[in-house]
Amino acid sequence: MCSKKKANFGALIAGVAMFALALTACGGSNASTSSPNGAGKTINVYFGADTTYGQQQQQWFNDVSAAFEKQTGAKVNFETYASANDELTKIQTSVVSNQGPDIYSLGTTFTPTAYSTGAFVKLTADAWNRIGGKNKFIPSTLGISGPDANNQIGIPFESRPFVMAYNTDLLAKAGIDKPATTWDRLGAQAKMLTGNGVYGMAVGYKDNFDPWKYIWAMDRQSGHALVNGKTAKLDDPATLKAYQTYFGWLTKDHVVDPASVGWTNPQALAAFASGKAAFFPMTTATSMNTLDKSAVKGKYKYALMPTVPPGATSAPSGGTPVASIISGDNIVVAQYSKNQDLDFAFIKLLTDDAQQKIRYNTFGQLPVNQATAKELETSNPALAPFVASAAASYATPFTGAWGNIQLALVNVVVQAIPSLANGSVSDTTLQSLLADAQKTAQDALSRSK
Amino acid sequence: MVTIIVVPILIALYMSVLGLDQYTLRQWLNAPFIGVGNYVEALTQSSLLKSFWISISFAVISTAATIPLGVGAAIATQNRFRGRAVVRSVFLIPYVLPSFVVATVWRTMFQPGGIIVNGLHSAGITSGLWLNGPKSYWTLIIVEIWASWPLIYLLVLSGLQSVDHEVHEAAALDGALWWSKLRYVIFPYLKGPLSLACIIAVLNHINNFTLPFVLFGVPAPRDVQTLPFLIYITSFQSFRFGLSTAMGFMSLILVAIPLFIYLRAVKLDTD
Repeated sequence: MCSKKKANFGALIAGVAMFALALTACGGSNASTSSPNGAGKTINVYFGADTTYGQQQQQWFNDVSAAFEKQTGAKVNFETYASANDELTKIQTSVVSNQGPDIYSLGTTFTPTAYSTGAFVKLTADAWNRIGGKNKFIPSTLGISGPDANNQIGIPFESRPFVMAYNTDLLAKAGIDKPATTWDRLGAQAKMLTGNGVYGMAVGYKDNFDPWKYIWAMDRQSGHALVNGKTAKLDDPATLKAYQTYFGWLTKDHVVDPASVGWTNPQALAAFASGKAAFFPMTTATSMNTLDKSAVKGKYKYALMPTVPPGATSAPSGGTPVASIISGDNIVVAQYSKNQDLDFAFIKLLTDDAQQKIRYNTFGQLPVNQATAKELETSNPALAPFVASAAASYATPFTGAWGNIQLALVNVVVQAIPSLANGSVSDTTLQSLLADAQKTAQDALSRSK
Repeated sequence: MVTIIVVPILIALYMSVLGLDQYTLRQWLNAPFIGVGNYVEALTQSSLLKSFWISISFAVISTAATIPLGVGAAIATQNRFRGRAVVRSVFLIPYVLPSFVVATVWRTMFQPGGIIVNGLHSAGITSGLWLNGPKSYWTLIIVEIWASWPLIYLLVLSGLQSVDHEVHEAAALDGALWWSKLRYVIFPYLKGPLSLACIIAVLNHINNFTLPFVLFGVPAPRDVQTLPFLIYITSFQSFRFGLSTAMGFMSLILVAIPLFIYLRAVKLDTD
């Protein structure tokens, strides 16, 4: 069904867009009584540029702007950023100068940092109502909207939960009916699948983001928390075990390509797409774009990543069955915005069923709208792993220090890569790197407010 | 000058004595005053000194390596020959390419499975990792040399063109061999332009942020964490704006040394 969806993209985009816009317009007439009057006004929206669907994004900007103008009379001016750095710079300058975009789209893990600046609107009950109510959203997607239910700034916009792709042909040949649900068993399956130029797993050790997600997930699964209040615990045996497992796939189990010490996530995806790897953990629905045009088209499926930590055969008591971080995009409204009524009306439009469907059909972004998600899941069973992963997604610690902690976790891998390439990361090296990471994390937490 | 230089420097100086971070950015004028706290932290608790050393050695080695390349290329293209204009244009390609393009292309070539690693492997050399570990420092220098030698070439070329025809004729009449002519007749003319080229090159190398940033990403291997890179990470990854401004001031002192020499050199030339 996923393949079918992609194949129909071109034709579907125009059709669904028009249909959905028609729905929006109809809905608009119904909601117009409560829609603010924005005649003569413009709201500025800051979005990440979509490098895969650039043209479609531009078309969507035009369509959604037209729909909003029809509904409220206000225009929408979209501005895009090419990288997280651009976004960060824009936020910083806007925060200092008290002017800039009214609405920002942020990566979920950046929401705690945005919250810590105090520059974005805390959502009151009234604000949530104007968006359509909290109940409109899949509950787990609200997990990283703020530090608690009464202090939220992030409105879920779209969901990209992490899953694992696997090569159905390779697994069938090895007599494996389905991917393991424990990391140890997955490692054993990967060993069975390694040989004849094929590796059990494709992992991007040099990726700037992937490593911390593995470590954080394994850590939570074991019942350990990297952050407890204002205390960092990166030098815990559970964290050490997570890194040992992650490195062990290369150094002990030999189930990943040795070249993967220099790979980022797209290169690991390319290895899986060429049929040279059986499992590709830590990927999202967006990988379908590549896989459906590759050698493994029709020969792959998605499954949840293991939720049982390394060294365990079942979930330990106190452990959390983490399948993914809460991944995707949140929307925030700047406090300096003079058009907050319009901002919330626009966010309502974006998170209502019609636009959520358009976003899924056009860009492959999964909905955060509960009703939309349910409908898609029913009509498209292939989405089940993503829906299950979204339901088993947990928030990373909501602290302004998280950016630093995340960087410190990745830095352990970056600095260990020479040892990794030589085939062994000693416990002494790892403990020393973890001690550095612990210090960085603790310093950041101690400064946090 | 007051608006463009003095005011921003004074504001930056003020920022460097504040505990300015993501929590206080919104009302930065109210950020707590911590005096020289940021300077002390930069010197004692950060990798600033290591980054100083990396930046200086990187700048000096890169400059030293580009001098013979630039001088050699300028001398080789001084006399007319068929296709000289094309050769001169080709020489400028590395210099006119945007830094991020240079870094992206070289990163692709140096990564495992890239053309360089595979080429060396075909020749029986196992080169290991170029973008991680200690070798990353030399990767940075190799790419910087490739990208920056045309600056020396250009300035030396301009120096060569200021040598009068009569000087060449007089040297020929005196029967000077090519090395003697080069050593005693031409090089003295190049002393000024080459000195300036070196100073500018050192400043460019020290301030080069794009190359290591694109080549290695964030977080970078420790061996390539140059000063601008460290300041960037402190500012835009750790959100320690006060601390990074203090680091920036200390790096300004580092840059001011060759800058001072440069200004003296300009003055000497104009005199």
